[in-house]
Amino acid sequence: MTTTAPQPKGNFKPKRNGRWWQRKEPPRQENNAIIGERKSTPYLFSAPAILLVAGLLGFPVLWGVWQSFYRRPRLGAPPERVGIENYSDMFSSDAFWDSLNKTAVFVSGSLIVGMVLGLFFAFALFRVVGRLRFLRAVTIGPYIVSNVAAAVMFRILFNAQFGTMNQVIEWLPFVDSGPRWLADPFWAMVTVIFTQVWTDLPLVILLLLGGLMTIDNAHLDAALVDGASGWNRARHVTIPLLAPQILISVVWLSYSTLTGLGVVLALTGGGPLKATQTMAMEMYTVAFRNLEFNQGLAIATFVLVLNALLTLAYIRIGRRYDYDA
Amino acid sequence: MTDILPPDEIAADTIAEESLQASERDVPGLGLAVGSRAKRLLRSILIAIPLIALVVWTVTPFLVTLSISFKDKVEVFSDPSLIPANPSLNAYTDVLASDSFTTSFTNSVVVGVGTTVLTILLAVPAAYAFARFRFRGRHLLLLFTLLPRLTPSIGLMIPIYRIAIATNMLDKRITLIIVYTAMLLPLGVWLLVGFFQAIPRDIEEAANVDGASLWGRLRHIVVPLAAPAMITVGVLAFREAWNEFTLVLVLVNSPGNRTLPFELYKLQGVEGIADYPIEAAFTVLTIVPFILFYTFVEKHVVAGLISGSGK
Repeated sequence: MTTTAPQPKGNFKPKRNGRWWQRKEPPRQENNAIIGERKSTPYLFSAPAILLVAGLLGFPVLWGVWQSFYRRPRLGAPPERVGIENYSDMFSSDAFWDSLNKTAVFVSGSLIVGMVLGLFFAFALFRVVGRLRFLRAVTIGPYIVSNVAAAVMFRILFNAQFGTMNQVIEWLPFVDSGPRWLADPFWAMVTVIFTQVWTDLPLVILLLLGGLMTIDNAHLDAALVDGASGWNRARHVTIPLLAPQILISVVWLSYSTLTGLGVVLALTGGGPLKATQTMAMEMYTVAFRNLEFNQGLAIATFVLVLNALLTLAYIRIGRRYDYDA
Repeated sequence: MTDILPPDEIAADTIAEESLQASERDVPGLGLAVGSRAKRLLRSILIAIPLIALVVWTVTPFLVTLSISFKDKVEVFSDPSLIPANPSLNAYTDVLASDSFTTSFTNSVVVGVGTTVLTILLAVPAAYAFARFRFRGRHLLLLFTLLPRLTPSIGLMIPIYRIAIATNMLDKRITLIIVYTAMLLPLGVWLLVGFFQAIPRDIEEAANVDGASLWGRLRHIVVPLAAPAMITVGVLAFREAWNEFTLVLVLVNSPGNRTLPFELYKLQGVEGIADYPIEAAFTVLTIVPFILFYTFVEKHVVAGLISGSGK
């Protein structure tokens, strides 16, 4: 960011009514970078973007929160103010608590799988960074695939009859048949977690790799000379220095899984037997299948509040590590 | 944790390190050399295994899908091998000949190009204002970068759907373009601000003295210098429009306005028994155009992403 320009010293006070050679003004660096621009220029330049974002991201979300205190008595009837009734209904419904449980499993499972794989792959890539360029393209691969396409690919991969996963499992000794992945409540959740992690991992790897690349080699060299083994170096030097990126990845993965709907909807649609009915799915079901929009908004608001807490954590991490969050 | 060692110890360590390297270099002898070669081999194997795992993890879903797409509907079950015994392009010709693909492909291209153009048109001036001017509202930039995190699409789905109904904007491609642009603008502006700030002010001031107008400077100095960042933003915008699923699901009703992800989602439910080769071929055909487009500009995107995430 720009540093504050040195304060003008001496007789730099602007004299507005003097003759032109007397009109000394302080250096304009403080106000405008380029001398001679109109004051309105930055406003005109930034207004369209700011208005569009405020109108299509900020306003709808606030409107949705406000509407969660209303309800339509019948479909098509005008909404009436009902206070917190939508919320009390939500908290007393079993489906909501069930979806909260599923979300907790989904988020924590994705975090564990995602961070373990992310760190593993980031460390591996760091060793060859800049040398094998095709690996970078491979790493980015899942990032360019839509959630629906990822779901189709994983439904093929995890198909109980011809899926490659089960072929590999059945090839192993002592195993007769692999699980019926998407038909079994437990394994369906596992499949959803892996699909979600697969789509999210590229950004995690890039984030961690970026962090690794900023670590000063002097620290590692020092540890090496002190005789620290590879594992100890990672454990006591690299991981602590990587803490900001790890925390940011954790927060980002939580955000992505907590609010993610695409993968679950396209892969299982919440099934089997609501085994993968996360809160995002529950919101979608309540609003767009049962057409109880205001009730759906209560669920959405609940998720938004959880997510706002996550964002707060994100900002605090940024402050703590002097990180430009 | 930043200062692990006091400075004098670092100095001592560099000496120690130098002597260590020297001692390693100075040791001759065949036995040791073979030992170190074996060690090096082991080392490279240890490095290679995680990298192979990474490739397997990322590529397997693509390969399996590609394999299925060349098989016959029955063959999928009878021939489990990865390389099809008698590969056919039937699934591809079927998909390419279907209305559902051509229509949704056209829609995706229109929405993608529209989003890209609109995002760049709005992001460049805004980022320039944030990077070069001090003005009231400049601190909005921070809010700008945080807003997308506070407004995930799960929170937007219902309100945007209701608002689109109220304003008669439902089921229109232009709605999708505007919504996706709004979703990508914060990231785009943020990436561009960093880039614009890196352009030395002196160049622009020199041009200013030489009589270049604001537009002249933007056109001949800022935009050419920031081209990599603009390409990055463009690709990210295109990707968003090309892949976005949850909002198009609620904003579009009629089959004629669906984008590729929506059409692919519908494809799974329409037929009673899933036609896997068709689904696989459709999936491949949604990914390949983007890969072609992406490999073309890959360098810029990754560089932009890393510089963005490293901040």
